[in-house]
Amino acid sequence: MPKLTIDNLEVTVPEGTNVLEAACALDIAIPHFCYHEALGAVGSCRLCAMMFTDGPVKGLQMACMVKAQDGMVVSSTHPDAMELREHVIEWAMTNHPHDCPVCDEGGECQLQEMTVAGGHSKRRFRGKKATFTNQDLGPFIQQEMNRCITCYRCVRTYRDYCGGTDYGVLGSRNRIFYGRFQEGKLESPFSGNIIDACPTGVLTSKPFRFKTRLWDLQEAPSICPHCSLGCAIVPGGRYREVQRVRAGINRETNGFFICDRGRFGYDHVNHPERPRQPRIGGQPVALETALDAVRDRIAVLVEAHGPNSIAFLGSSRASLEANALLRDWASAYGSEQLAYEAHQGRDYAARTLAARVGGHACSLGDLRQSDLIILFGADPLAEGPMLAVAIRQAVRGGAKVVTIDPRPVELPCTTLHIPLPASRLPELLAALGSGDLSAFDAQERATFAPLLDQIKAARRPAMVGGADLLGGQGIAALCSAAADLSTASRAVGVMALLGGPNSYGGALLAGDGPGFDTLLDAIQERTVRALVCLESDPFCEALDPARAQAALGHLELLVCIDSTPSLAAQRADIFLPSRANAEMSGSYINNEGRLQEFLPVIDPGLPIKVTGAGDHPPREFFQTTPGSAPAADWWLLAKLLERATILAELRKTMAKYDERFSMLSFLAAGTTGLRLPVKVALPPVADRGLPHADGSDNQTLLATTGPLGSHWLAHLSAPLAATEPQPYVCLHPDFAAALGLASGDRARLTTRFGHCHVEVRLSAQMVSGLVLAPQLWDTALEGLAPGSLHDCRLEKEARA
Amino acid sequence: MNLWRDIKGTLQPFWVTLGYLFKKPVTIQYPEEKRTPPPRYRARIVLTCNPDGSERCVACQLCSAACPVNCISMQAAEAADGRRYAAWFRINFSRCIFCGLCTEACPTMAIQTTPDYEICNRDVLKLVHEKEDLLIDGCGKDTEYNFYEHSGIGVVNERGGNEDEYGPVDPKSLLP
Repeated sequence: MPKLTIDNLEVTVPEGTNVLEAACALDIAIPHFCYHEALGAVGSCRLCAMMFTDGPVKGLQMACMVKAQDGMVVSSTHPDAMELREHVIEWAMTNHPHDCPVCDEGGECQLQEMTVAGGHSKRRFRGKKATFTNQDLGPFIQQEMNRCITCYRCVRTYRDYCGGTDYGVLGSRNRIFYGRFQEGKLESPFSGNIIDACPTGVLTSKPFRFKTRLWDLQEAPSICPHCSLGCAIVPGGRYREVQRVRAGINRETNGFFICDRGRFGYDHVNHPERPRQPRIGGQPVALETALDAVRDRIAVLVEAHGPNSIAFLGSSRASLEANALLRDWASAYGSEQLAYEAHQGRDYAARTLAARVGGHACSLGDLRQSDLIILFGADPLAEGPMLAVAIRQAVRGGAKVVTIDPRPVELPCTTLHIPLPASRLPELLAALGSGDLSAFDAQERATFAPLLDQIKAARRPAMVGGADLLGGQGIAALCSAAADLSTASRAVGVMALLGGPNSYGGALLAGDGPGFDTLLDAIQERTVRALVCLESDPFCEALDPARAQAALGHLELLVCIDSTPSLAAQRADIFLPSRANAEMSGSYINNEGRLQEFLPVIDPGLPIKVTGAGDHPPREFFQTTPGSAPAADWWLLAKLLERATILAELRKTMAKYDERFSMLSFLAAGTTGLRLPVKVALPPVADRGLPHADGSDNQTLLATTGPLGSHWLAHLSAPLAATEPQPYVCLHPDFAAALGLASGDRARLTTRFGHCHVEVRLSAQMVSGLVLAPQLWDTALEGLAPGSLHDCRLEKEARA
Repeated sequence: MNLWRDIKGTLQPFWVTLGYLFKKPVTIQYPEEKRTPPPRYRARIVLTCNPDGSERCVACQLCSAACPVNCISMQAAEAADGRRYAAWFRINFSRCIFCGLCTEACPTMAIQTTPDYEICNRDVLKLVHEKEDLLIDGCGKDTEYNFYEHSGIGVVNERGGNEDEYGPVDPKSLLP
């Protein structure tokens, strides 16, 4: 622990810290561009010069390039250091255009800040400026190369940190150019991070272009609602719409970056078809009327058919507080018909994880430090993209990565892929745990035996599972295997990719309650007559949507609380509009059991661009904001339960009656969150597998989560529309040859949901004999719940 | 003594008033008579145009940021040529305190104050001026400045088309 003196202040820092970090620890602001906590120091911007007056290093040095050592005496205000910094920033400004008024970076431009901090205020350079021709980098990134100061941060973020390959630096001397070799869309699903990384306005957000100056943006720390990883985000809103999202900082989860789905998937909040009015039987009514109707009609049903005639379906999208109130509501009637995820596989996976993971839970921060990561049926880019970046950081630190999956799994790093059918994953996990591979044939043993040795030899191994393919049994096998493979000296970390941002919270509340398929049976048998859906859409999200739709037709009362134009919201007898997570406070528990709070950014309301039809806001004035009826999900439920509609009170009550949530009172937004050490009851054994239609010449189709743009909330986001793929199927080349299909062919896919024209993609990483298709909304592939198996027929179509 | 003071205090104001009856008044009979304020008088705010007749405002929001009473609001948009402009621009003159800070903040000389002070109205909504009410056909006080000819990003002129810049470089060149 070296102890050094900076500006007459003594500081002791950990070994390996550089002097710039030490100065930051003392809150001494030194201008710098190239140093970034996640990217490290390269000493290229020459801006963090400090004078080393005494000790082991002497003279004018770049603070980020000098490791802190004992006895160093450093001055940040030495005249020589200050003069150098002033000259360096003056050089950086020589070619910079004077377009700050029309630059989207204005307001958070580090170049502006560093220019002021560096002391450069008057332009002396009278020569001409260099100019560049910009590239079109796709729908997300706007480039303006004239503003570049060649700090290399974008390349270090895009290539080194996120593992993209199609963006780099070209040229020499003052011709340095950052871009693609050929103009085109950036391929990396983490491309948006270069917007955050760029200290000036070279790379700005295209969907956010010219929307708002940053000082007008309302921002608050929030949690990404798109997957179960719980990345910190900072959404920004203005004029009653969420306009952008930037990465928040949480060193335990996402670090400093987020994926493009999180960054550009905010637009579901502003969706033009979002229902904003309470409705009874499709007719808009006042909120109080709708709340009374819910209370009355449920009371009538309870009286006539008993408490178990009412079923409750929570959701992984709803806040923990709302889900807890839903449980309270169910228990107030005495109903035991309560589930928290319509997708039963994901539900049981989450519950099993919450019950079994214990001390093996591994955060993304832990994963970045791992030396061996094995993914069982987990496809990070689809199910939790930032996991892929975390894995890449582990690989940069020397880790090995193995993916065992029936699908091809693409990661931004070198991996070993072992194709294995999903049904055999629990078997493999059990075998790895026991060390007995005798159930596998010789060829497979030759693959898995070295893997077992690697796990045993690894010092910080981690096993990652996907809820879609593993289900409850698989996750149980994953947790058992991790426990069996752990030794006294080191534990095997476990992470599972769950269905949604609050799957874990729902799992804690669900305990050993029934699964949604049991509820569907009860609805089919008419023992359950009413269903309350809290921000979930059983029509689409259930493992078997056709069965769900048939069963739900029998309901006498469907109450839906939602913030999206889901099918359930359209079909609800009574609909209550709720707020999106950018519009309310609440908390989520992510896939490792981390309780995190999010804060509201804007109040709900029809965006000004809608009320003004693109022109100025209407020249009329109302007492209320149009479209402002949506209320926080916990507020609606507290109203229904006739409790105080104050979040702090609700949390206090939750903490008091459930010790697992005792941390709720200490929750603060924008922090690393609080890890819950909890045990819950195990769910009933899941009944895996779906009905297969008979047919000798049919193929088996495995449905998966689609890439970036194909999740429900992402599907509702206009900026992500460009990334949503056309329907496709993926096949093993041998299997495709047997079917007479080649890469790029058009084919006709017939499932029990109907026909769909698909493009054929081939991958040698696939399990042979399987058709892989993503769930894509608004196509015939909509009913393919991820993880489910279907019979299908794939026929070649003549090219048009 | 107090009595003398009281008598003086009662009569002297009448004397002063009497004196002013024979002097030229400093007030004028507004609105029958109108005074011409100096050219730099800060009253009605206008949006001026470039010498070439195009809109000067780039909707940078610096005026609304500088405004101490938040009476300016706008939304920026991008024209087909990449030019940033105000899709709508609104000044609420019922709030405006005519401090002129917006004109000092404006980097493009678009927003300017004029000596036209007669904007009172009984209907508050008529004091909310939209862009079409604010735009004038002229350069106002600065007859030469055109922001996009100095900004250094190719919008009005193509890359390198402005006086103080070179043409676009070829990053793939191998020349030293």
